[in-house]
Amino acid sequence: MDAYVIQGMHGLVYGMLLFLVTSGLTLVFGMMGVLNIAHAAFYMVGAYFAYTLVAWTGNFWICLILVPIGVGLIGAFVERVLLRKVHALGHAPELMLTFGIFYILAEVVKMIWGTYPLSVSPPSILAGSIPFAGGIYPTYRLFILLISVIVLLILAFIMQKTRIGITVRAAVFDNEMVDILGINVQAVFLGVFCIGSALAGLAGVVAAPFLTTYPGMGLEILIDAFVVIVIGGFGSVWGALLAALMIGELQSFGIMFIPQLALVFQFLLMAIVLVLRPQGLFGEAA
Amino acid sequence: MTTIRIRNIIFGLIVLILLIILPFILSEVQLNMAIEIAFFGLFAVSYNLLLGYGGLLSFGHAAYFGTGAYFTVFACKFVAGMPLFLAVLIGGLGGAVMAVIVGFFCVRLSGTYFALLTLAFNQLIYSIALKWRTLTGGDDGIGFDKPAIHLPLIGKLDMFSTPNVYYVTLIVVLISLALLWFFLKTPYGNTITCIKDNEDRAEFIGYNVFRSKLTLFTMAGFFAGIAGSLFVIFAEFVSLDAIGLTMSTEILFMTFIGGTGSFLGPVLGAGVFIYFTEWVSDITEHWEFFLGLLFVILILYANKGLISLIPAKLKEFFGKKAPVGGER
Repeated sequence: MDAYVIQGMHGLVYGMLLFLVTSGLTLVFGMMGVLNIAHAAFYMVGAYFAYTLVAWTGNFWICLILVPIGVGLIGAFVERVLLRKVHALGHAPELMLTFGIFYILAEVVKMIWGTYPLSVSPPSILAGSIPFAGGIYPTYRLFILLISVIVLLILAFIMQKTRIGITVRAAVFDNEMVDILGINVQAVFLGVFCIGSALAGLAGVVAAPFLTTYPGMGLEILIDAFVVIVIGGFGSVWGALLAALMIGELQSFGIMFIPQLALVFQFLLMAIVLVLRPQGLFGEAA
Repeated sequence: MTTIRIRNIIFGLIVLILLIILPFILSEVQLNMAIEIAFFGLFAVSYNLLLGYGGLLSFGHAAYFGTGAYFTVFACKFVAGMPLFLAVLIGGLGGAVMAVIVGFFCVRLSGTYFALLTLAFNQLIYSIALKWRTLTGGDDGIGFDKPAIHLPLIGKLDMFSTPNVYYVTLIVVLISLALLWFFLKTPYGNTITCIKDNEDRAEFIGYNVFRSKLTLFTMAGFFAGIAGSLFVIFAEFVSLDAIGLTMSTEILFMTFIGGTGSFLGPVLGAGVFIYFTEWVSDITEHWEFFLGLLFVILILYANKGLISLIPAKLKEFFGKKAPVGGER
């Protein structure tokens, strides 16, 4: 298989993983106006939960169900007990609060699991490589692609076709009006935050066998995820998808062609987008 | 009124005398901590120009601190016989220049967008420092050959003795703080508060909001650069840690923990932070957990920082300007 195709596939896989992480982040931001920095910690906690669960049960598949539930519950706790208290104070204290939670969770992870990188092995059916487009390609990467596409389709279906989705989209647009119309916006906030966190947990599970599970993984993905939602536009799921794929390919080909500057490119892209179109590619004007 | 004023002056003098005799009281280790608190205190006060006075949450303030540190090292490395105080000034100017460039793009935005753009520029500057190995030494960092100070009456002052470093740091920090204090007392300082309270109204009244915010951002960059210079005089070494994201978040911690609502609150925050890193880390390796916990508890229950827990009498001395709130 052609080197460019492989590199392109790598970019696609990482891009879709990034989308998985940022979809929850952008959902929460669009809804509540809170950029949840703790999201990256939820992702990391998801990966560590997967490690422990696989060590106990030896079954990777149940992680895909149980870990998002666990992380979603942590998210619900954070929203209900902590975040709601500072909501009235404005966005800066909310941002700082989620940052504080990120900081604490990162330390808790170090306390429980130590600082050494841990590896989670994928189930045997997904290990190894399979024939793909005239060459071979690692099965697990294709699995990441599959999961991300499934999540994308489910999200799109819920948001576009169900009553819950309509409520959420309306609340993103104007949450005061939705409140006045008699819908319990607080409960919707809680639900969205919970689902957003669960998506972070799921992304963590999926990432665990693919990337190393270590205490710095949260910060690493956090910065990429920020770049993605800034480029894509705050609160836009489609923008997040496009931007995640752009960043994935940019990193993948950047490392191939100009490894010294691969790091710089995405921040340059982000700065350019913010200067020319501060609301991001798909965002609505603030 | 006047009695309060006289009391404040007397209190200030006592503190000043205490600061001057500190090297004779403290041990070497404690004096080193005092130096760190001094320059981190200045750094935090400069950050509070943005957070407390301007209502701008920045995630990239280390960029100017680090630039100041690197510029001071370069100044002494490339120019023979560079006087130390001039090198410190160059560090400050380096921070200011960097802040003008970044600020030009950032200060048009506010809130979350501003926070993220400052973060992006911090990462950009960090990446440049990382990759420009020939100049910055990349991961390895560069050492600093600090020049001695030659004073007319006293003669040569060796910068390798801790008390001398302490006095140089103290003088620069006190002068900087005094400048900042008087700057915030000017009509311009009031303009900043006005813009923070209601940007649109300030614009309608006729203030040039963009230029005022850019000036504030530059000023914050300048004093962050000065603090960076003092850091490198203390550490004799500068590496990417000084310019990285961790430093940017640490300064947010220090400033917020101390208190964004008063002029000297951030200095208190710097003190608490240094205490945590030096002493609490001896007790438990998970000191960061407790620091994060303190941060979160303060946000929830005392969002004016530790300084707001100090009795009102003492607070008068610290100056209670710049009420804090979220952005708008």
